[in-house]
Amino acid sequence: MAIRRIEVRERVMAKNDELAAEVRGRLEAAAVPSFNLVSSPGSGKTTLLERTLERLGPELRIAVVTGDVQTENDAVRLARHTDRLVQAVVTGGACHLDARQILTALEEIPLADTDLLFVENVGNLVCPASWDLGETAKIVIFSVTEGEDKPLKYPKMFERSRWAVLSKTDLLPHLPFDVDRAVACAREVNPDLRFFFTSALTGEGMDAWCDFLRAHARGGAEATA
Amino acid sequence: MHELSLAMDVCRITEENVGRSALPRVREVGLEVGDRSGVELGSFEFCLESLLAQPPFSGAVPRIERTPGDELRVTYVEIEDGDPTD
Repeated sequence: MAIRRIEVRERVMAKNDELAAEVRGRLEAAAVPSFNLVSSPGSGKTTLLERTLERLGPELRIAVVTGDVQTENDAVRLARHTDRLVQAVVTGGACHLDARQILTALEEIPLADTDLLFVENVGNLVCPASWDLGETAKIVIFSVTEGEDKPLKYPKMFERSRWAVLSKTDLLPHLPFDVDRAVACAREVNPDLRFFFTSALTGEGMDAWCDFLRAHARGGAEATA
Repeated sequence: MHELSLAMDVCRITEENVGRSALPRVREVGLEVGDRSGVELGSFEFCLESLLAQPPFSGAVPRIERTPGDELRVTYVEIEDGDPTD
C-alpha cells in the first residue's frame, strides 16, 4: 500500500484570522477605532467601562460588545450607560471571544454613527491573547490586588497589548504592591507598553484615560482611520 | 481551554485538502506547534488523538514538531493510496 504525502502548510487559526480581517475592514471603512479589553477575572473591566461611559457618553457615541460567560450581569450594568451594547453569544465555559462573534455583533451596531468600540473580553489572561478580533489594539487591565509579576506569568497577553491600565489604585495604601516593579515586569515582556493608572472608584487617573480615548476616537487627534 | 477547537480546525483543514471520502485513509497529520503559540501541547495532542481515532477518520496519528515562534499550522497529510484517482 503506497503512502502519499500531501503538503499543506496551512495555519490552524487561519479561519479566525480571515474573519478578524473582515471585522478590521468593516471598522476601518466606518472609521471606528476599537479596543479589546483583556484581563483576568475581577480586574475591574466592567467598572472601568461604566465610569468611562459615564464620563464620555455625553460627547462620544461608544459601542460595547461584552462577553460575560454565564450571566447577563455585565450587560445589564453597561446597558445603563450606552444604547449601543451587544452581548456576544458565548456558551458556558467559553474562555475567549473569537472574530466570528464580533462579526455577528457588528450587525447590531450602527457603525456609521459610532465613534469608538470596546470589546470586553472574557476574563482570562491566557486564551484571549491568541485570538485576533480585528481590533485596533488590545488593552490589558491589571489590578493592584494581583501580583506584580503577573506580566511575567502571562507574557503573551502583555506582549500582545499596546496599552495597560493598572486599576484599583485607591487600594495601594493598603497593599504591599510595588507599582514600579509591576511596570518593570510588564516592560520586560513588552518594552513599548504604555500605562494608565486608574481608580474607577475615586476617579483618580480617569482624566488621562479619557483624554487618551478622546484622542483615539473617530475624529480625534490620534485616530488611525 | 481552546485546544479542542484548534484540533477540530485541524480536522477541517485535513478534510479540505484530501476530500471527505479519503479521510478514513489518512494515516498521519503533520503539525508545527510554535513554542509561543499558547497551545498546551499535552491537551492538544490528546484532543487530536481522540478526533483522529473516530469516524470519518480511522486512527490517523498526529505528528507534532515544536518550532520557535507563535505559528500553529498543519504541514502535511499522509494518506494510504488505495485508488490513484483520489
